[in-house]
Amino acid sequence: MTSKSIIAIIASLALGAALGLIYGWVIEPVEFTDVTPDLLREDYRIDFVLMTAEAYQNDFDSEAAARRLALLGSAAPESYVVSALEYANLNAFTQAEISALQTLLTAMQTYQPEADLIP
Amino acid sequence: MTRNSILQIILALLAGFGLGLAYSWLLSPVTYVDANPSLLRTDFKDQYRVVIAASYAANQDLTRARARLNLLGDSDPVAELSAQAQRMLASGEPFDTVRPLARLATDLQQGFASEPFTSTPIPAFNTPSAPQTTPTAPSEFEVSEEPTSTPPPTVFFEQTQLIPSSQETATPRPTFTPTSGPGSPFALVGQETICDPGMSAVMQFILMDGRRNQVPGVEIIVTWNQGEDRFFTGFKPELGNGYADFVMEANTVYNIRIVTGGAFVADIRTPICTDPNGAEYIGGVLLTFQQP
Repeated sequence: MTSKSIIAIIASLALGAALGLIYGWVIEPVEFTDVTPDLLREDYRIDFVLMTAEAYQNDFDSEAAARRLALLGSAAPESYVVSALEYANLNAFTQAEISALQTLLTAMQTYQPEADLIP
Repeated sequence: MTRNSILQIILALLAGFGLGLAYSWLLSPVTYVDANPSLLRTDFKDQYRVVIAASYAANQDLTRARARLNLLGDSDPVAELSAQAQRMLASGEPFDTVRPLARLATDLQQGFASEPFTSTPIPAFNTPSAPQTTPTAPSEFEVSEEPTSTPPPTVFFEQTQLIPSSQETATPRPTFTPTSGPGSPFALVGQETICDPGMSAVMQFILMDGRRNQVPGVEIIVTWNQGEDRFFTGFKPELGNGYADFVMEANTVYNIRIVTGGAFVADIRTPICTDPNGAEYIGGVLLTFQQP
């Protein structure tokens, strides 16, 4: 085998690999269909927090609100509300929405899971 | 270039392609960090719907609720809500949890909010003058106010708001309430035999208020000698907001109790119908209840 042939084979291998990567990353990427809420885009996550805040205004159920916020990840519930409030202030949310988020933030800051109350 | 060399190049190309594919699909696949709700796992979609419905119960913003449901990519959001509500009831979830789903499904079906938006005594956290009862008021788009300014410490719980709200309900407002009060008794106003092979052995219920508007969310208890079943109206909004049904068995006597108002109907059984050829089959029953 001549050196020319070896170079041609290596070049072909590299070209094939490049084509494979393009196909696998761009043309037909792995499709995720069962994602978890923590992978939602920021505006969707904020809207989820806002919905939780609106629901909290109706039922005042801190337990349910904390459980809903826990879907977004393992961080403390109030951290999601703080992020949502920052986003809301930057993106011209209505005063009622900001007020709802603030109410939820207060509730989450004072919320203690039932498990912690059990001696 | 010999034929052998061409073959080697093609093989190298294919091998490289395979390696690239394996890397991009298995070792380092595209990771989603900005997913949309339609990609959520089924159980998370269910949770998402519950939160949408709970939010809708608070703000009665049907347009927004519809837009949020559309994010989930359901082909028929109303059917999906109804199906989820029934699944939750079947799994023993309390009706208070399920009710917002049924309400939202009903309202989407009819195209307007069935319950008037009632203000709740929300403590205004630090903006006591902010409007609390109309979240969609145009004035609220003025967001230039600093929401964290001037927090008066004693205005968090304005309990006096509870008094006017209860007084408002006592004030005569004859054209405002679309449905009768939840405690008004239902009375059986119609009992028909349905001779339709497609509705064989189906006991259908239609519950209406005093204005003949169908009423969702009314609990019905059906008992028979071997058991009991409980269900609610409004979970099949495509058939009516006050509709519910139950499949009977032949030669069984059923007693019906409408929980709201305590209406009781005894001795309901499957009727016998005859088709045009003279063959007998089990028919259905339609029971219509109405509030005074």
